[in-house]
Amino acid sequence: MPAASPRSPWWLAVHLPALALEAWAATLPATGEPLALIEQHRIAAVDARATAAGVRVGMRRATALALAPQLRLGEADPTREAAALRAVVHAALAFTPAVVLPAGQGATVLLEAGASLRLFGGAQALIDRLRAALAPLGHQLALAAAPTALGAAWLVRWKARAGPPATTTGGATTGADLLPGPATLPALRRLLGAAPCTLATAGALHAEAIAGLGVQTLAELLALPRAGLARRFGPALLDEIDRAFGQRPDPQTWQQAPPRFAERIELLARAEHSAPLMAAAAVLLQRLLAWAAARQARIAAFELVLHGESSARSESAAATADLALRIELASPSVDAGHLGLLLRERLERQSLLAPVLELSLRCDALSQAPPPSGDLFPDTAGDPATQAAGLARLLERLRARLGDDHVLRLEAVPDHRPEHAHRWRPALAATTSAASATSASGNPAALPLHRPVWLLEPPEPLSERDALPCWQGRPLRLLSGPERIEAGWWDVGLASAGSAVARDYFIAEAGDGSLLWVWRHRLPAAVQGQGQGQGQGAWFLHGRFG
Amino acid sequence: MATAAPDLRHSSDPPDPLDPLAALHPTLWRASQIGRVAGEVCTSGQPALDVELPGGGWPCRTLTELLLPHPGIGELRLLAPVATALLAAMPARPLIWFDPPAEPCPWALAALGIAWQRLVVVRSRDGARGRARERLPAADVLWALEHTLASGQAAAVLAWLPAQLPADALRRLQLAAQGHPGPAFLLRDAQARLKPSPAPLRLLLHPGPGPDALRLQILKRRGPPLAGTLRLRLPAVLAESARQRSRLFDAAAAVARSQQPTDQPADAAALAQVAPVARVA
Repeated sequence: MPAASPRSPWWLAVHLPALALEAWAATLPATGEPLALIEQHRIAAVDARATAAGVRVGMRRATALALAPQLRLGEADPTREAAALRAVVHAALAFTPAVVLPAGQGATVLLEAGASLRLFGGAQALIDRLRAALAPLGHQLALAAAPTALGAAWLVRWKARAGPPATTTGGATTGADLLPGPATLPALRRLLGAAPCTLATAGALHAEAIAGLGVQTLAELLALPRAGLARRFGPALLDEIDRAFGQRPDPQTWQQAPPRFAERIELLARAEHSAPLMAAAAVLLQRLLAWAAARQARIAAFELVLHGESSARSESAAATADLALRIELASPSVDAGHLGLLLRERLERQSLLAPVLELSLRCDALSQAPPPSGDLFPDTAGDPATQAAGLARLLERLRARLGDDHVLRLEAVPDHRPEHAHRWRPALAATTSAASATSASGNPAALPLHRPVWLLEPPEPLSERDALPCWQGRPLRLLSGPERIEAGWWDVGLASAGSAVARDYFIAEAGDGSLLWVWRHRLPAAVQGQGQGQGQGAWFLHGRFG
Repeated sequence: MATAAPDLRHSSDPPDPLDPLAALHPTLWRASQIGRVAGEVCTSGQPALDVELPGGGWPCRTLTELLLPHPGIGELRLLAPVATALLAAMPARPLIWFDPPAEPCPWALAALGIAWQRLVVVRSRDGARGRARERLPAADVLWALEHTLASGQAAAVLAWLPAQLPADALRRLQLAAQGHPGPAFLLRDAQARLKPSPAPLRLLLHPGPGPDALRLQILKRRGPPLAGTLRLRLPAVLAESARQRSRLFDAAAAVARSQQPTDQPADAAALAQVAPVARVA
């Protein structure tokens, strides 16, 4: 039998059987305790260790604790699960825009990628890439493919459920026979015919009534008269089965990645130092990267907000207890290791004023430029592009640890006043390398060397003896000068009073032979009218010839 | 004090082709020779200094310590040729300074031939300067310096470090410097000269005699110790007339001193040159 026509849809269902537990355990320290989630006083999900201890889904809390006293219990939280599922949706959106969250199918994400199979090099290649993209999120996966959306979802849940029959969140058995899945609708119908009726949402509602009919599988159910079924169980059941079997159109609501990323994560223990914060931030960072992949973009900046203790009690105090760490990248990146490194450096130097209860990560600065092309021979150390990238990373890392105002580059300002002749700018790698192109500094011998390399900020007052300045108790020898610098009268009205200078500069030799740059006011202090406090004709040390 | 046998060093560098032992193996080294450096070196631009440095220049991929009595004695004029050469050789890499002792003046750097556009300055977070900084552990700047050296992304590195450092800090830096393609200069206060250091090359600098000159003692190198003091001419800040004025001052001071009845040697001018060395040594 030939394969389906090229336009036939190919739905891939990604089921996350242990999503609720994994979303909760992601922020827990790995202690090796058995874990279980509780919903309405009953166990809702258990991990492998708890299963080994005999804890089962549906038990009461007391029973579970009697079986496993060291059991760590958490409340199930639909919001937390939805956030984790959203990250999976974003990761899937990187492969196809047709991503669906089916209602009533648990933690399942559906992708329709029939049109792109050739692009990805076949179903198996696409599945491998999807698994690789989902791996950083750290979930167990079960996959199945089918020509209809609901069919794929049913297949994957059926297979995930088929492991230990008593639990719904059992081991994820991903049968190889489900991939690439039944290629045609008749094959799908044959396969699903043996599935239990409770896979359908309406079938689960009427499970007892259907079982009372002596019907177990979908094939048996469909063998009954349709009119009777519709009258007895309502039209929803037949409608659902028809959609799954491809006998009725199945319109979908497509998922979209939001234009801005904003996710929160709750810390289950009050974090008072940066190590547990980093673990939770890494989870958020992976979700951020999944979102960036869905937007086909790279991250230019993001912001991690630490919500302190008081913010949880009263929303009004939120502004005071929250602490936002903004990290700007010199070159946009989607490298989880690099972003994590920057975040870690930043968190380590941050002193926490209050214990942190929640983290949130925001990002609205994306770079849509095409990614840098990969290297055919990546070990070319002399390549300027890789070198610039390495330098950018180094500077980014230094800035993340020390702060933007501690990693600086020099900028010359054309001003005669020495203290205004330079300016500091944050050192971004891009500007550094751009400046390197214009760094033709000319012939060094052509420039006179009459300015000191080291400028003291502010100038250091010197004592005076016999009309000569003294430094370290010894009079200086004035060897050269005066050089008059009189400028800046236009700055007098500004806040920095006294930025107008009228000075006579001398090059002086100290007792040990080193050269100093000293000045005195051109006018006596009385005429100057400034509160210099150094007396008439005071001398200042302004620079050293290094 | 410059009387220790300096003839030993001349016999060794470059290796004599007629000496059968020197031709035996490149790593063969006799204690009477100046060490040969396996890696590359950068010329210091001062022939008198190159002769005394193992390998004939500043060693790459390792630390070089310069000890100064105070900043501003001509250290940058000494290091400007090597910085310029390294910036020219590695056009995509910056010159990184850690904790410079004062504000660098871009025009002066340009006059020295250093492209200030490619200068990156890393400052430690504690605002303490001067004496207060000596007591504080410079953890930030040590961290940044170590990562910069290990990343090998800088053309040349100059770091002004306090004299007091944790015991293992310099050893870590020396290890990290192996990833750095150029020389790594640590500038520290002269009081650190009695402390042990893993840097294979340590120099003690003094200003003078007179302006635009530098005296240099090699405290440690691979090879026999150099007992004497090297005198280097630096690029001149002063015009010739100003330098003559300085000489006049010197002569006047010598005359004034010789008129005072002292039990010091008569050659006061010579004493004035030797005295600081004697005090430090």
